[in-house]
Amino acid sequence: MTTTAIPPEARHAPAAASKRRPKREREGAAWVFLSPWVLGAIVLTLLPMAVSLYLSFTDYDLFNPPKWVGLRNYVQMFTEDPRYWRSVVTTLTYVVIAVPLQLALALVVALALKGMKRGKGFYRSAFYAPSLLGASMSIALVWRAVFNDGGTVDNLLGTGGWVNRPGWALLAVALLTVWQFGAPMVIFLAGLQQIPAELYEAAAVDGAGKWRQFLSVTVPMLSPVLFFNLVLQTIQAFQVFTPAFAVSAGKGGPADSTLVYTMYLYDRGFVASHMGYASAMAWVLLLVIGIVTAVLFRTSRSWVFYASEGDR
Amino acid sequence: MPGHRTKGFCASAAALALCAVLAGCGGSGESAGGGKIVLRYTWWGNPDRAERTEQAVALFEKQHPDVDVSTSFSGYDAYKQKLATQAAGGDAPDVMQLDYRQIDQYATGGVLLDLAEQKSVLRTSEIDRGLLATGRVDDVQYAIPQGRGTETVAYDVRTWKESGVPLPGKSWTWSEWADTMRALAKKTGKPGATDPGQSEDAFEVWLRGQGKALYTKGGGLGFTAADLTRWWTFTDKLRREGAVSPAEQTTQLDGSVENTPLGRGTSVTDANWDAPASGFVALIPTGVALAPMPSGEDGTPGQYFKPSMFLGVSAGTGHPKEAAQLVDFMINDPEAAKILGASRGIPVNETIRAETGPRLKDFDKTIAGFQASLEGKLKDPPQAPPSGDNALQSTFQRDYDQVSYARMSPREAAENYVTEAKAELRS
Repeated sequence: MTTTAIPPEARHAPAAASKRRPKREREGAAWVFLSPWVLGAIVLTLLPMAVSLYLSFTDYDLFNPPKWVGLRNYVQMFTEDPRYWRSVVTTLTYVVIAVPLQLALALVVALALKGMKRGKGFYRSAFYAPSLLGASMSIALVWRAVFNDGGTVDNLLGTGGWVNRPGWALLAVALLTVWQFGAPMVIFLAGLQQIPAELYEAAAVDGAGKWRQFLSVTVPMLSPVLFFNLVLQTIQAFQVFTPAFAVSAGKGGPADSTLVYTMYLYDRGFVASHMGYASAMAWVLLLVIGIVTAVLFRTSRSWVFYASEGDR
Repeated sequence: MPGHRTKGFCASAAALALCAVLAGCGGSGESAGGGKIVLRYTWWGNPDRAERTEQAVALFEKQHPDVDVSTSFSGYDAYKQKLATQAAGGDAPDVMQLDYRQIDQYATGGVLLDLAEQKSVLRTSEIDRGLLATGRVDDVQYAIPQGRGTETVAYDVRTWKESGVPLPGKSWTWSEWADTMRALAKKTGKPGATDPGQSEDAFEVWLRGQGKALYTKGGGLGFTAADLTRWWTFTDKLRREGAVSPAEQTTQLDGSVENTPLGRGTSVTDANWDAPASGFVALIPTGVALAPMPSGEDGTPGQYFKPSMFLGVSAGTGHPKEAAQLVDFMINDPEAAKILGASRGIPVNETIRAETGPRLKDFDKTIAGFQASLEGKLKDPPQAPPSGDNALQSTFQRDYDQVSYARMSPREAAENYVTEAKAELRS
């Protein structure tokens, strides 16, 4: 980094003594300008992470000084806490429902918008809007009202309130996420527009129909973008909190059916005041997300196609 | 020396940036707007209590022109979580409303100010000794009780009368209560009561009716999984019969009267504390009345007079004197007492109770009358619950969810709860 950062004129400086000083001064200035961000990273990210790692080996109730307990939190988590495993299963179920649904919807809408001639801007904004609004608490509360008993869905479909049924509540939470498909959609759209039109023309000449074109041209050409979206959305889905929190009014109910991992983490930390346990949970989550991402990258070798590979 | 200057510049820039970061999370009690002292005062409650509190606070501000009180409130569940987070972050509000369950944890955790330090502005001489002692931990007065409360069965008078079922008398046993709920459900077509299975408070009343208690003197669990199994079997059966609210409604309870089945108009009665019960008046304009909680089968009363809630001052407040003045005002000021009525329970200040008692109006009068009818009949209150109870209250509700959604048998859920409770109380 240091060598590439030196501009050419500095490299050709004549005397060795004067060569050093400007470099150091430049570095100093760089650090001064960087300091807010470096400090931010240290104070707001690295330090809390280190503290959390330490706390994960302690018994800490927020009020009294932490007590060192070694691996007890981790042992308890894996061997003595059925609710922990329930939250793991709930989260995995959520990821498996929400991520494919969301990506599929994003892709379908992106394909529809790509060919559109008029009103493109309007529809793009309209479909993107939920992603901007969706993360907010207010929309989540509206969602709760819609899926509550006596709510809109209940009236229209007569299925009763989804958020009050253990079998349906998680689906209501997942739908809130799926509905926010704007970000992956925009990325898909950008990806679609990168695909050269000649490929479609050539495919058409060879007699490929729309479906064939989609499978043989669009999907492989889009696979890097698809992969990118998949990784990003999976990581996000593992950390889902707001929709589950709002839809279940902060309880993960009914009957723990929406108790996703981060909700349980929150419950242990802030409701039951077991910060050490919550910290340990956070570190396990980090590790699992790391592993899942690594696995996704592994499998990507067999299905992601980069156009540049053809040149080699 | 340019090198040194750079270093110095670096350090000061770093210090500046750090200040900017820290300024964002300043502590409580900073002055703002026109050099006034700002006191943060938080509490839980309902719109009825909010209106009266705002009026009282406005009066306090008028009497203390240099103080600006910023209040905020929410439902009990949300309040409990938010306060714990604030307290842990060293950012507890200057004056905070506390529950019996929180006193022990907050006092031993160093969150609360020793109120003896502010004796000069905070008078406690007119408060019943026994009641005052409930705010004491290790002989230090950390909080002042604000009112006296007891549990009650609040009911929708018109619906009950129209059903033709005889109105509740001065006492009833749990089995008489259950039969009445069945009869109400049959006649009105809606459940008689909120499913009491989810409520640790109702369970405590039931348990005390049998001469037992939630906690032992040493802070351990005072009942067995078999006791809890019997309770949950009892409520589970009532729910299956439709005599109490279905799981879909019970799970929506969050400590606010608005989200109870009675508040939503989908049941005839609700077991609640008497002070928040005044919130039902706005929701059921056709009339709300109070009946005693059911007693044990041999007539042993389970309900008791409890300090309804407390006021405490943050140990980290920048204005301990003004904060104590606010506490004193809320508890001892006759004008404030007139405004507040019984919205936080019957006043603890004996002079005020004697003076304003007969002058109480509307529902406040109902509450006072209800408490008077129980006077001398109830057993002594239990000692303050141990720290772990704060979390167990939610666990209780959650474990019962498993029963009401038929995911676990009462026995399985009860055994789960007892295991969790024992772990919680040990740590």
